[in-house]
Amino acid sequence: MTLRGVLLCLLLSCGALAQENDDWGDDDWNGDDWGEDPWAEEEAGLEWTGFVEAGGGVRLSSFGPTDFTLGEGRARVETQYFWQAIDFSFKGDLGYDAVIDDEILQLRELAAAFGIGSNIDVKLGRQVLTWGTGDLLFLNDLFPKDFVSFFSGRDNEYLKAPGDAVKISFFNKLFNVDFVWNHDFDPDEYINGERLVFFSPEAGRVVSPASKLRADTPDDSEFALRLYKTVNAVEYAFYVYDGWFKQPNAVNNRGVPAFARLRTYGASVRRSLGPGLANMEVAWYDSMKDDDGGNPRIPNDQFRLLGGYEWEAVKNFNVGLQYYLEWTQDHDELISNSPAPRFEPDEFRHVLTNRLTLKRMRDKLTLSLFTFFSPSDGDAYLRPTVEYRYSDAWQYSAGANLFIGKDDHTFFGQLEDNSNLYARVRYYY
Amino acid sequence: MHRHIKHGISLITLLLLSPAVAAETLTDADEISRRANQAAYYHGDDGRSEARMIITDSQGREQLRQFTILRHDREDGGDQDFLVVFSRPSDVRGMVFLVNKHAGADDDRWLYLPGLDLVKRISAGDKRTSFVGSHYFYEDVSGRGLERDTHELVETTEEHYILKHTPKQPGEVEFAYYMTWIDRQTFLPMKIEYTDDKEETYRRVEVLKVEDIQGYPTVIHNRTSDLRGGGNTEMQFRFISYDLGIPEDVFSQRSLRNSPREWLQRR
Repeated sequence: MTLRGVLLCLLLSCGALAQENDDWGDDDWNGDDWGEDPWAEEEAGLEWTGFVEAGGGVRLSSFGPTDFTLGEGRARVETQYFWQAIDFSFKGDLGYDAVIDDEILQLRELAAAFGIGSNIDVKLGRQVLTWGTGDLLFLNDLFPKDFVSFFSGRDNEYLKAPGDAVKISFFNKLFNVDFVWNHDFDPDEYINGERLVFFSPEAGRVVSPASKLRADTPDDSEFALRLYKTVNAVEYAFYVYDGWFKQPNAVNNRGVPAFARLRTYGASVRRSLGPGLANMEVAWYDSMKDDDGGNPRIPNDQFRLLGGYEWEAVKNFNVGLQYYLEWTQDHDELISNSPAPRFEPDEFRHVLTNRLTLKRMRDKLTLSLFTFFSPSDGDAYLRPTVEYRYSDAWQYSAGANLFIGKDDHTFFGQLEDNSNLYARVRYYY
Repeated sequence: MHRHIKHGISLITLLLLSPAVAAETLTDADEISRRANQAAYYHGDDGRSEARMIITDSQGREQLRQFTILRHDREDGGDQDFLVVFSRPSDVRGMVFLVNKHAGADDDRWLYLPGLDLVKRISAGDKRTSFVGSHYFYEDVSGRGLERDTHELVETTEEHYILKHTPKQPGEVEFAYYMTWIDRQTFLPMKIEYTDDKEETYRRVEVLKVEDIQGYPTVIHNRTSDLRGGGNTEMQFRFISYDLGIPEDVFSQRSLRNSPREWLQRR
């Protein structure tokens, strides 16, 4: 991947868009009715929307598989079609990723949604799913995430990876139920060394392997359940998940990274409090194959807790604060059985996050800084971003992913050599 | 019973439109404000409208937004719900905004972002900020609670009641006071001007066109101008209908992920 490659990529995707979309320019706003303008017609048939985007990102360290963390051009196509009370939806990305010299072909949504009676909604097919109350911290949301995209400068949307699932929602007065069943376990898009480097406990250091890491992925189903209800504007939810850890943090018999069995139980509450919003979420991670913590190849049980508060501190300036805890159970057992105790996580991993958002020019310009800081791990992750919505069509963004840590083995510390700066240009059609 | 009262009110509205009754002159500022609030936000038991905005910045550059609004009154003149479903431009398409408005208390508001499948809640304090990049505020969409200001009748002209409204909690808002020009016949606020503590009038909302829809005088075109920084947003409403019988459960979080197609379609 060369600088020329990135530039070419940017030029190709921008050049193709040189002409400004002026479909909306002819609207007769002075007239008495909407006349001939396209908004006067109710949408019928297929409506195609989406964007074309070019992005480039450069690694700040010299250690890593590539000098660039981002270098791509992609086109998004979205459409929706209604047939016999069934809502068909499609979202797909097509493009070229110069960092790994490969095409981008991602089906983000291909689903059919319909109702059964008046109290049941079903959505079948590929879809992005989210629940829980955390801001960029996920306790009970065990739907697949794409941390590679998130850390390398793609739009936030790409943090959520699509999964193939059946989602059935029951609505009733007592409480609402969401049941999600996935025939084939979908792990996170984990860091595999292809684009981003990671810490290897075997090597005892951060590695950039010649061939990308391939974890042993189970070929089985997973399910997630949420019961939720809003009472007097206080949102309560209870969660269950049955499947596997989403990261390959276990090791199989052949010494290959693998996914350990996992069942989680959790609860959350979110409500208005004073001028802002408060949320609290807990989760119990039952690592089912490691009841007493004696097996160092399998992660231990964990109790996770999150508390957050966000408010508009000054007009157009919002502040969000979160405290997050991972309490590893049977920690003594873990340490005494571990082949490399010094690389094991602390019994209590504390993380503080801070989101600062400043909006200017009626939301055209958004400056934001999201900080993760772990006093127990002694590491941090900073995400400064600038977004400029020049027009309805053109949007520019730039930012950085900065990882800092005193040790190589901690969650964010191991990512230090992946620190990067990036910029993206997007054209909506 | 509820419906019965509503018909009574619409009858009063009709009567007010006729010149014979318009002679009645009100002098109670609270009563005028209450009727204006009623006229601006509570026509019928519920309503549906399509809306679009053209946002012009100080340099004359334009942006557009298009959305459909559904409204339902839990209590006439009191609690009500709004559901706003965006259709254009592409980057906001599929976004849904839900308001459970509480008279006398903070509203509960949620925003659904389809790309992340994320239901984001909006904090209570965050209401006098731009509504999707326009010169309108979130608070303009669902209305500002009458109890938040003290109301004072300044002048009664041939056409308008001119009122001055002063916030009870000045720290919560950017204005020192605002003036409204309320039409004496329809009780629609035809012009609102916001003034800061330096006596500078910096923001104006004005009605450009009113049309009678199902007997309710309804604003179908208005404009909000930034008198300090320049720029304005014009908003037009079309395909308006009242008293559709939209059920209350349409205004629940279910509608964030599954838009209530039946009610969003044109009638």
